[in-house]
Amino acid sequence: MMQNKFIDKKKSIDFSLGNLNLSLDLNKNVFLNELNFIKNINNELFIIRVENKLVPKNKYKIEKVSKNTDDNFTVISIDFSQNFEKDFFKGRISFVQKKKNIIDFIFQLSARWHKDIPKKVLLKFPFIINLHKNKNFLKPGDIFDGKKRIKKGVWNLHEYPPSIISDNLGIESLGFEFYDQFPWQANYNLGMSEAISSENFEKFETEVQLTQELTDIILMKIYTSFKGREKIFSLWKENTRKRYDLRKYHDGNNRWIKKNYLQHFMFAYGEEAFDYKKIEFKINQIIKEGKQFGGYDSILFWHQYPRLGLDESNQWQLYKYLPKNYKTIKKIVDICHSHKIKFFIPFKPWDIRSNESLDSHAKSLEKFIKETNIDGFFLDTMSSLPESFLKIQKKFPSFEFCSEGTPREQRQIETLTSSWDQIGDIRRNFKVDINSNFFRFLFPEHPLNLVSRWSVGSDKDALIKRAAFNGMGMVIWQDIFGCWLPFSIEQKKKIKSLKNILKKYHKYFYGNNSIPLIKTLSKKIICNEFSNSDGKQKIYSIYNFGSNKVNGRILKLPIEVIEFKQIYGKKVNIKIEKKQNIFYLLANLDANDVILVNIKFKI
Amino acid sequence: MKSFVNKKIFIESNEYTYRVEHLTLEGTCSTDHGPRNVKIKNLLVDKYPVTNQQYSFFLKKTGYQPRDSQRFLEHKPNKKIFNLPVVFVSQNDAIAYAKWVGGRLPTDEEWQYIAAGPKYLDWPWGNKFNPSLCNHDGNKLESVNAYRNGESWCGCVDMSGNCWEWTAGIHDDGNHQFALLRGGSYFYAHDHWHVGGGARKNNYHWKLQILNEGMNRAATLGFRCVYDAK
Repeated sequence: MMQNKFIDKKKSIDFSLGNLNLSLDLNKNVFLNELNFIKNINNELFIIRVENKLVPKNKYKIEKVSKNTDDNFTVISIDFSQNFEKDFFKGRISFVQKKKNIIDFIFQLSARWHKDIPKKVLLKFPFIINLHKNKNFLKPGDIFDGKKRIKKGVWNLHEYPPSIISDNLGIESLGFEFYDQFPWQANYNLGMSEAISSENFEKFETEVQLTQELTDIILMKIYTSFKGREKIFSLWKENTRKRYDLRKYHDGNNRWIKKNYLQHFMFAYGEEAFDYKKIEFKINQIIKEGKQFGGYDSILFWHQYPRLGLDESNQWQLYKYLPKNYKTIKKIVDICHSHKIKFFIPFKPWDIRSNESLDSHAKSLEKFIKETNIDGFFLDTMSSLPESFLKIQKKFPSFEFCSEGTPREQRQIETLTSSWDQIGDIRRNFKVDINSNFFRFLFPEHPLNLVSRWSVGSDKDALIKRAAFNGMGMVIWQDIFGCWLPFSIEQKKKIKSLKNILKKYHKYFYGNNSIPLIKTLSKKIICNEFSNSDGKQKIYSIYNFGSNKVNGRILKLPIEVIEFKQIYGKKVNIKIEKKQNIFYLLANLDANDVILVNIKFKI
Repeated sequence: MKSFVNKKIFIESNEYTYRVEHLTLEGTCSTDHGPRNVKIKNLLVDKYPVTNQQYSFFLKKTGYQPRDSQRFLEHKPNKKIFNLPVVFVSQNDAIAYAKWVGGRLPTDEEWQYIAAGPKYLDWPWGNKFNPSLCNHDGNKLESVNAYRNGESWCGCVDMSGNCWEWTAGIHDDGNHQFALLRGGSYFYAHDHWHVGGGARKNNYHWKLQILNEGMNRAATLGFRCVYDAK
């Protein structure tokens, strides 16, 4: 099989096109020099079915093979054609290399239909399916736990981290990315990025709409690394981030949001927030209780939902009905500010009435900011920032927006500079998994606050561990629209400890050098790496997801260690071992435990 | 506008199986929704919700002033709307009126029996929804006697649609205070995240979470009274 050839011997990707057999040679220089034409492999690039009839694979006619190269750019293309019944197909396979370690594989196809009437065309890609079958193939976010592949990395945006094939040592690696510019676009990558993550990928067959012009069907970006999957992730991260305009994150005016580690959700209708006898909000009490969590950095006031809709009052009018109307909010904001706590109010995008617009809501917001001095606007179910609201930020440069959903698309990510990492569903026996959030590692400048509103008991414990494992802040939400689901004293202590660590090591957690799911030496251990800018110090978040204690080597460290210390989690016995000039981190880690370790290296 | 008498209707004591459905959007409604056996004592009940005229008369006679008047009678009752149900009243405002007339607010269980009766009707007038028998989607409040054909088994009118009705009591789950509303209203907010609008079935209540009086009053929220009878 081609995969074994790549991994063990020839370092090549082989596939065939009718009688033409091709091999993409990936030697150690990883420059695209030449395509080798080899024989006797059965790894077809694609199979076409036209109205349920298979197009014979041995009838492709190679029209042209061309190669253009200069110092910066290499392109190799193969043009082919095929007559099938009364229709005529043309195609092109191209390899494009602009830089070391990244090669674009492009597959294009066109059709000239008999009497100009299009037919239903289905495509299958045995070549990619065979990659998927490789025993060392890991879908995006997967790890191999010794028995099976399991998902330990998640993401929720329109960028898809690459699938990876590594050698048995996990060193030589190839990454495969199928970038979807727009998930509903015809033909282009065909939802491959989602499909390759599914269990049924072997049956993946998809429809294309062919015209007389060559249309992009597959654009597979191949990342190559001799430094393991970590390097594949870094290459993908670097390549992906290049598309983004992230200036807004590095504008000094918005920096406070990056230190919004703990946000309190202040549900107005309950004993936590409201004194029913005095008819006033218990803001001082909330701030005081927040110290048990390490202190709130912001408070989100919430009183519109689930009350909106009882009559025609809109979301802004409901503020007027509070005791002393806007003055109540102003007073709360002033108290918060005296404790260096920022204050958010929510927007209800679903409450835009027929006589309202986003512009009119922006005007209401502007008036509200002037009257109350609030610091931020929580966008609720809307995870994009409309132009009307962006203009607010021009008038109030330190004003921030945050949404309950992590933004998914490019413009949203560029403009909406904070959000929740919200998980959970009350209706589906939801279990909080401890895994890596790839968005957080791709855009570390975008602060995420973890929340799972309905989780209780052991799931709340897992939530705190998940926040620690990903080095992210949390939402402290205990009154869920009238259901009181508090954190325990022990849980509060753990959150307090985590907040202190996030604050102390802010530059590590929110710097740009973090990598999720680095290689570990135990099949039941996963680890994220956070690094300061010069790489002299790193924080490793380590999680034992197995059901037994892990005792021994956990990580192979990159260079000589000067100092090390555990900074979070139940105290465990950690050691550094030096053997044959290689440094290892050893630990005695209980099942289901998360620890954070800070290591200083000799550079 | 021609005025009319809001006469009292006698309801003989009985037992029935209380079972209620609710929608609280997210969260729960911490009350026992049944099925459970409930005993109803002999009662007199207002045929209609209390009107603006009745409430204005109460104000004139008693000089009632709520401690917190935020939004109190925000619609400014006048003769043109005398026959419309009084709204923008909190539960306290409703109780003050009921006491003055020698009555009280119906309990959640009583309200359901008054609407559904011993035959457990789904709607006051029967088991099938009929928009011509209630102010379901009418864009504004209407006179309490506008849908006399939609009367309940005992002759009570306007029990579904037009305006929500307070029931008695503040429920306290230890962390929250809330009241239960009945009947639905004319108003329909457009989104599924809004409070569900329109006329509501007999076995439906909505949990109104209590805050200050300004928040406890609404343009769609009125009441009717019951009176303990021998």
